[in-house]
Amino acid sequence: MSASGPATESGTLLQIEDVGKTFQMGEVAVEVLRDISFDVRRGELLVMVGPSGSGKTTLLNIMGGLDTPTVGDIWYGEQNLAVASPRELTRYRREHVGFVFQFYNLVPNLTARENVFVATEISKKPLDVDETLEMVGLGERMDHFPSQLSGGEQQRVAIARALAKNPQLLLCDEPTGALDYETGKNMLRLLVDLSNTLGKTILIITHNTAIAPVANRVIRLRSGEIHEVHDNPHPQPPEEITW
Amino acid sequence: MVSALDRKLLREVRATGAMLIAITSIIAVGVMCFVYMRSAYYNLSLAKFRYYNQCRMADFWIEVKKAPLVDVDRLIDVPGVTAIRPRIQFFATVDLERVIAPLNGLVLSLPDLRKPIINDIVMQSGGYFTDRRANEVIVNSAFARKHGIRPGHTIHLLLNNRRQELHVVGTAISSEFVYLVSPGSLAPDPEHFGVFYIKRTYAEEVFDFEGATNQIVGLLDPAHKETPGEVLRRMEVMLEPYGVATSYGLRTQTSNQFLSDEIQGLGVFSTIMPAIFLAVAALVLNVLMIRLIDQQRTIIGTLKALGYYDSQIFLHYTKFAMAVGLFASLIGLGLGYAMSHFVLSIYKMFYEFPSLENHIFPGTYLGGVAVAVLCALIGSLQAARLGLSLKPAEAMRPKPPPQGGEIWLEHFSGFWSRLSFGWRLVLRNVFRHKLRTSVGIFATSLGAGLLTCGFILTSAIAFLINFQFELVTRSDVDLHFKDEQGRPALLEAANLPGVSLAEPQFDVSCTFVNGPHRRRGAISGLLPHSQLTTPRDVDGERVRIPSVGLAMSSKLAEILHLRPGDHVTVLPTQGRREELHVPVTALSDSYIGMAVYADIDYLSHLMGEEFAVTGVQLAVDGGELQRNSLYREIKQLPGVQSVNVRADVIRNMEFIVETQRIFIVFVVLFAGVIFFSSLLNSSLVGLAERRREVATFRVLGYNEWQVGGLFLRESLVVNSLGTLLGLPLGYALAWVLARVYDTEMFRFPLVAPTWVWYAAVGMAIVFALTAHAVVQRAINRLDWLDASKTKE
Repeated sequence: MSASGPATESGTLLQIEDVGKTFQMGEVAVEVLRDISFDVRRGELLVMVGPSGSGKTTLLNIMGGLDTPTVGDIWYGEQNLAVASPRELTRYRREHVGFVFQFYNLVPNLTARENVFVATEISKKPLDVDETLEMVGLGERMDHFPSQLSGGEQQRVAIARALAKNPQLLLCDEPTGALDYETGKNMLRLLVDLSNTLGKTILIITHNTAIAPVANRVIRLRSGEIHEVHDNPHPQPPEEITW
Repeated sequence: MVSALDRKLLREVRATGAMLIAITSIIAVGVMCFVYMRSAYYNLSLAKFRYYNQCRMADFWIEVKKAPLVDVDRLIDVPGVTAIRPRIQFFATVDLERVIAPLNGLVLSLPDLRKPIINDIVMQSGGYFTDRRANEVIVNSAFARKHGIRPGHTIHLLLNNRRQELHVVGTAISSEFVYLVSPGSLAPDPEHFGVFYIKRTYAEEVFDFEGATNQIVGLLDPAHKETPGEVLRRMEVMLEPYGVATSYGLRTQTSNQFLSDEIQGLGVFSTIMPAIFLAVAALVLNVLMIRLIDQQRTIIGTLKALGYYDSQIFLHYTKFAMAVGLFASLIGLGLGYAMSHFVLSIYKMFYEFPSLENHIFPGTYLGGVAVAVLCALIGSLQAARLGLSLKPAEAMRPKPPPQGGEIWLEHFSGFWSRLSFGWRLVLRNVFRHKLRTSVGIFATSLGAGLLTCGFILTSAIAFLINFQFELVTRSDVDLHFKDEQGRPALLEAANLPGVSLAEPQFDVSCTFVNGPHRRRGAISGLLPHSQLTTPRDVDGERVRIPSVGLAMSSKLAEILHLRPGDHVTVLPTQGRREELHVPVTALSDSYIGMAVYADIDYLSHLMGEEFAVTGVQLAVDGGELQRNSLYREIKQLPGVQSVNVRADVIRNMEFIVETQRIFIVFVVLFAGVIFFSSLLNSSLVGLAERRREVATFRVLGYNEWQVGGLFLRESLVVNSLGTLLGLPLGYALAWVLARVYDTEMFRFPLVAPTWVWYAAVGMAIVFALTAHAVVQRAINRLDWLDASKTKE
């Protein structure tokens, strides 16, 4: 199946090869991804844009080990995630991936700090929880429950939770989708800073094309296929973009 | 350190509020029943075991007319017999100065000098016999307590037709009389019946029993303890010349049988009752957990995304249930301990032990916790597995909307089209949530079953008292003579003050034999048209006493495999003791003992007598003054062995009913817990799921009571279906109990008057409304503007 084999180049973190995904809805088979191939490079900020139903979230789930493709391979180092067992996928998510969701997915019964603990407790080399919360600007409000936090603050907790595990790859699903304009821009600033200062590989998926200029590279998805990939040698600061 | 997930767990447990209280209370009641019944079971068993050992409780009793000690001593040679003790036993009337009514007693001989004996006594006050006087007596503690008799007092007993003064030296109890009842009665009556221990030499003197005995008690080797039949028969053959009146093993000894039946019953109920509650709890918890997992779909998905293993998530949710189980069981243990204490205090009113303490048996308490946690675990397994089966990516997506569609009732379009919109909504909800509805129906049917069964048992005792003491036995006072007497005794009794009617009774104790089937019993000879004892059939219709043959209790006929028209062999154990063949002419019914009736002339003739009486039944007119003069006269009558006053017997039975009523209150409370908790849980889960629906109704202009009405209707539909099933279930449960307690000594009637059904249904409605009050409160407090934004 694999044409080029495992991703061994030091610059490649994740290698996606000929990935396709078909969902069986009753008697109808719906193909949501087709012939997807690209690499995720270490330390880059990658934005994947596409309209609703283009297959972004499915692709993100597959890259994050939440789902497996129907065909194709995803290489993480020597490991092919497409054929990994559920237990291996869990270990992959636990040790190498951090997720940021559109609706934050915080546990309502835990404070900000405790929500981060949920992630660090199962990590091998976690960052300090309080420091991470301070890094995302929540040093003052870490003992608040999600219901006592604004949307932006909740998203910061979600980012802190993903970061604190100290993962290689940060996967963000519409991180600004539920936020107002200003807060959304602040969130982008934070992600860009994390990419620049910590050298994390960050993948943002969004339907908002205006966000694309902040990325090192942009992939456009349409109807389950890659429509366009282009490098952006001069990313714009988030403050300069508008939508 | 408590992990973040455990902290989430603790907060969620607290946040479930009323639902948590509902489940906790069912589990707690289950554990409480388990703990108190098992504790009572072990404590009674332990007290019995210790007491029997302490007193060297006999394995068998043989009663004879009068046997010389030299011949009785040879019984020790019978294989299986390891020790015997001959003693002298007589019934006597007791005359206490301050008590006008005549009292009855059992007089037993004890060695003059204290030594270890079979059926020993345990002194409670005073001391053993001294050598200062011959006429010393030790009185059983309960009788002494009731009448304020203390060492140093003197009392009078009618011994062998002579009024004897006896000096009380002490009070005592014995394992023979843990449950002390006078012959033929069901409940202890310490006010009117006592046991009096006198010196062996004194007994020999007053009863003319030098070198003789009329009762032998003894021990058997382990091989024969449980099945003493063969050994008893051999001894009976050896004692045949001395007139064997009766012989029985420990198992059928009255006190032991009452006590052992009670212990056995506790053993059975300690399994059934907790099982009912824990089964309901597991099902209700299942509903709650499925709802919780449903609600936490995205949290589960997030945990999976964060890299939590399935096993960790599974453990997390089962921990929730186990935390509930553990918490509830701790409450149950506390309640169980208190209840055990209370129940033992009730037992102490009926059973006399040297000590009956509420020991804590660690195994029972740990067992209580274990079954509660296990039940919680079972209740959460299905839900926790559901949580696992969710794929992480799928769990992140919101749940697809619940399936709509028609329910089967809608196919009856004529019926359906006539329903209001509200009823359609209610019925669709009831039928779409099959699991929740089934659990609700199951729980309420068990609750209604418990109620019905409890009410049937209450009415059974009332029915029994009415049947036995209003329909069958109608005499106010019964006199029993020590020996057979003739017509003059009847005339004398008829002339006692206040007596309006006196009817003779001639009791012949005998053995009934039909082929391989045999039973000891007695035939009561009555006047053919007797007014004061009127045998009845099962419908309460009078059974005529035949001029020839016997009217036999159907229970005895069943045991002996006899039908009307059959002949039965009668071996009298008194009088001429000739074998008789007598037809069974009619069957009668009774709930106490196994009475056999015959025409008194016919029976006298069979026994070779012209006219014999062993007792007289009296109907008494007049007030208290007349009664008192009657009692004073009776006390002077020679030859009277015992006197029974119907009013005392009924009062005593009613004491049992009063005690039983306490237990009925508990049964109603327990049933209430089931009803209340299951309905409350089901409604609150429904409300949590349909917050947005409720909000929509409110936006549309429905007020909170109209919305609450929808939930109430759902509750009532489930409750009615459950109750309808519960009524026959309760009857079936009572039927099973009636079969279990169908003994030769006692049977309880299976009667269900109309009030039983009304009361069960009424209580079910009350519980449903009470549960709904909580739900209505939740609806009233619902922030429906916020709820209309709920993400479902």
